[in-house]
Amino acid sequence: MNQYVLLKTDLNRWVEMARKKYRVYAPERVQEDIFFAPLLGPPESEFLTGLAVLPYLPPKDLVFPQSEILFSYSREGEKIALTVPDQETEASVLLGIRSCDTVGISWMDKFFRENFNDTYYGRRRDNLITVTIACNRPIKNCFCVCCEGGPFLDPGKNSFDLQLIDMNDRYLVECNSDQGETLINLDPALFSAPPPDMEAMRNRLEEEARSMFLPEPTSYMGTAIRRITADSVPSEVWTELGERCFDDGGCTFVCPCCSCFGVGYLAHGSGGCHYRFWDSCDYSGFTREVSGHNPRGEKGERFKRRFFHKLSYQYVKKDGRIGCVGCGRCITACPGEVGMPTVVETIRRSDTGDSSKE
Amino acid sequence: MIKNTPTICSFCSNGCGMFVRSRGGEAIGVIPLTGHPVGEGRLCHRGWNRYQNLRSVNRIDRPRIRDGSGFKEVSWEKALQKTADRIRGLLDRYGPESIGVIGSPWLTNEDNFRLSRFCIHVLSSKNLDGSFRFAGASALTALGSAFSYPFGSLGTIPRLKECPSILVVGGDSHRDFSPVGSRIIQAFLRGSKVVLADATVARKEHFYAAHLPYTLQQLPIALAEKSDILDDVQQCLSHKGLGLVFVADQVHPASSLISLLGLLSRLSNLEDSFPEILPLSRAPNLRGAWDMEIRPDEEGLNLHEMLERDDGIKGILIFADDLLTHLPSEPLVERLKSLEFVLVADRFNTETCRIAHCVLPLPLLAESEGTMTNCEGRVQKLRSALPPPAETRSVQKILSDLSQKVGSPLPDHVDFEVRKEMSRCVPGYQQVSDESALDSLPGVLLPGEKQLSAGAVFPESASSSSKSETFTFVAIDTLYGWNRNQMILESPVLAIEYPLDPMTLCISAADARALKLRMGETVTVRSKEGEVRLPVQPNEDVPVGMILLASHWKDVLDRLAGKGSVDTLTGSVYYPALSVTVEKI
Repeated sequence: MNQYVLLKTDLNRWVEMARKKYRVYAPERVQEDIFFAPLLGPPESEFLTGLAVLPYLPPKDLVFPQSEILFSYSREGEKIALTVPDQETEASVLLGIRSCDTVGISWMDKFFRENFNDTYYGRRRDNLITVTIACNRPIKNCFCVCCEGGPFLDPGKNSFDLQLIDMNDRYLVECNSDQGETLINLDPALFSAPPPDMEAMRNRLEEEARSMFLPEPTSYMGTAIRRITADSVPSEVWTELGERCFDDGGCTFVCPCCSCFGVGYLAHGSGGCHYRFWDSCDYSGFTREVSGHNPRGEKGERFKRRFFHKLSYQYVKKDGRIGCVGCGRCITACPGEVGMPTVVETIRRSDTGDSSKE
Repeated sequence: MIKNTPTICSFCSNGCGMFVRSRGGEAIGVIPLTGHPVGEGRLCHRGWNRYQNLRSVNRIDRPRIRDGSGFKEVSWEKALQKTADRIRGLLDRYGPESIGVIGSPWLTNEDNFRLSRFCIHVLSSKNLDGSFRFAGASALTALGSAFSYPFGSLGTIPRLKECPSILVVGGDSHRDFSPVGSRIIQAFLRGSKVVLADATVARKEHFYAAHLPYTLQQLPIALAEKSDILDDVQQCLSHKGLGLVFVADQVHPASSLISLLGLLSRLSNLEDSFPEILPLSRAPNLRGAWDMEIRPDEEGLNLHEMLERDDGIKGILIFADDLLTHLPSEPLVERLKSLEFVLVADRFNTETCRIAHCVLPLPLLAESEGTMTNCEGRVQKLRSALPPPAETRSVQKILSDLSQKVGSPLPDHVDFEVRKEMSRCVPGYQQVSDESALDSLPGVLLPGEKQLSAGAVFPESASSSSKSETFTFVAIDTLYGWNRNQMILESPVLAIEYPLDPMTLCISAADARALKLRMGETVTVRSKEGEVRLPVQPNEDVPVGMILLASHWKDVLDRLAGKGSVDTLTGSVYYPALSVTVEKI
């Protein structure tokens, strides 16, 4: 890992250099909402400070879109033509992604690339360099500190390209990959070596950021993991939580770690396409069998399954971490007010009635 | 490059704010608008998956006219000329009363307003109505009668969470309409008492303080007879600032809602602050279509009369509604099929298109501009998120061309000009000409008039309460059922979420055990009027002593209940709960 210093006054120049070679995505405001969109000019500086401002959607849709055509076909007489659409494979930079979302992308990498290489995901991912901005100050729903999702990325543990740490008039830039280095090399003159006390200052900022998280419901992840793993959460708890779930799928769509998709078909005349779309384990149709039988027909059962996948040790062992990065988006998106912290807190408070299972 | 267009969802009457995301004119996704007052950054699963039906391949491609047993595609000019000739022919031969016009809760206010003007001024017909005659008209008639029309906004979804107590009539009100359900849960978390009235469920969710096992018809009577209802429930319902939530599509007859409103007013002894009332609907612009006077005046025929009376109409013009799917009875369907001329202007190839003499393609709501009025009485602007296909034409253009060809041209006003006219002529809509207010996220909330008028009546005594012999048979209202909604059917994910209702009787698992019935075994159900034989589907959620059947199995209902009951205030037919016996075959 290499460290550099970039003055904030030089940021726009660096971004301008990057824009000549890459498509640079950065947070942009549309009405009151924030989206990652290709930069057409300098980035909006309010999104590149230590204050954790999160777009509604994590940038996972840049590598795993809400829907995409897998292939289209057309037929003329006996001749059948198959087309795989041109992807947006232009080399891209994702500027201003937060720590939690960067960890989310690493999680996606594992899902889409480790057991099999999903070409659609892979082509986009190979062309994406991330420039994370660490969070010196969390906002209302943040709980990344409980999920090893931030507020700063750890170069020893996390996989990332570049991390910017806001130090008033400058950024400490941590470079953790060769791809990150290529961005530094766009104009090395903009980057200077950090002074000796910078590392201590970085660590102090990270400690301060961690101390700003409220201890309240977010620090009980461990208990929830134990109880879910041991299947010692009373079924009534799942039923009550399920009763507050509207099967809307919002929590799964906004989750940086949710990767489930379905495949649909459109056919018109002699042509058509296959496409995939974000699916959700909230939906009753997600597991319903052709016979009509549904192994998880009750909302509470679906809810349990979702959190088993997110938090159980079985999956932690398989995936290397829990399936939550603590971004808090599920709180924003859930009409039933049963985002991750509420679930974890409810499980912690539930009387298991059987402590031997833990 | 992705385009994010802020607009309004058009699945149901809540009208949540959303961005439709598109690339190259193709919808690729949807996300909620966080600053919108209805959804506040949340959507239901219909909303989240709305982009899927925006790229349906089942769109009507081009205008077409009947050609023998099939259709042939024709130019717009030819289709419109043919329609105009047929209309002219009917007018000349039978007079204006021979034509009926069907507006739609799937059209904007402006288009419904244009249709109303077209019917009255171009056709000189008074036969104007919508399929909501069969679902929704009773609720709106009741509200108009209880509060005097126009009743404007009777409550808002965000304010529901502040109600100290809420009466939810029908569990679908919270389950199916997540912004409302969300506020019910928020109210519960703040300590409010929420009471569920639903005869068709055996258990209540944990956030309900009490469950009243009554249908809307039975509820006012049960509430009036205090012995039936616990004191604390009575106390809950007498709180100042009560919230009242129901699905307008499920209100039958109008008098039951009027009675409930009268009773709640008497319980709470209110003079100036009536409950927050939210009449929900599975159609997006029920309120708007009603307010734009898509309904007959006293001399005109309603949809039921148009189709039922042999001396009624000869031709019908249907805009943006799959009437064949929504008509609740086979004879009405047959009558519709037998008309001399049927025009269908719609978006998808529906069942109704197949019986039309002329079919015209309309743009989707996501491809249109205009306003819709949600269940709160909030008028909101739709923004065109996608370019309409080249062969579609707006209702504005169709009516303008048709009126010219028929010989009484209508002014070809664009939407904001129509809104100016609406602000002058539609009661309660004075503010809709304020374009900057309409452009804001909250839109324009119609002024509310919450004075209970003399029209509200108190319930009669319990004499009409039915006592079950063995079982109570209830027809679950499915007129605007999601599993028959074209926008749902055009979305792969949502079509899976809403499987079709099988023609089976839902019975409680306990009753099934007592009768030694297993899934799929057939029973004979007998009422005073007749009997039917149907398979059963045991279900833990159905209360003991109750048999449920989806109401669109009209033939079955007719055999059990005769011709049903007529709502004298709206002319719609409904099926009150029946006493039946059940016997295993």
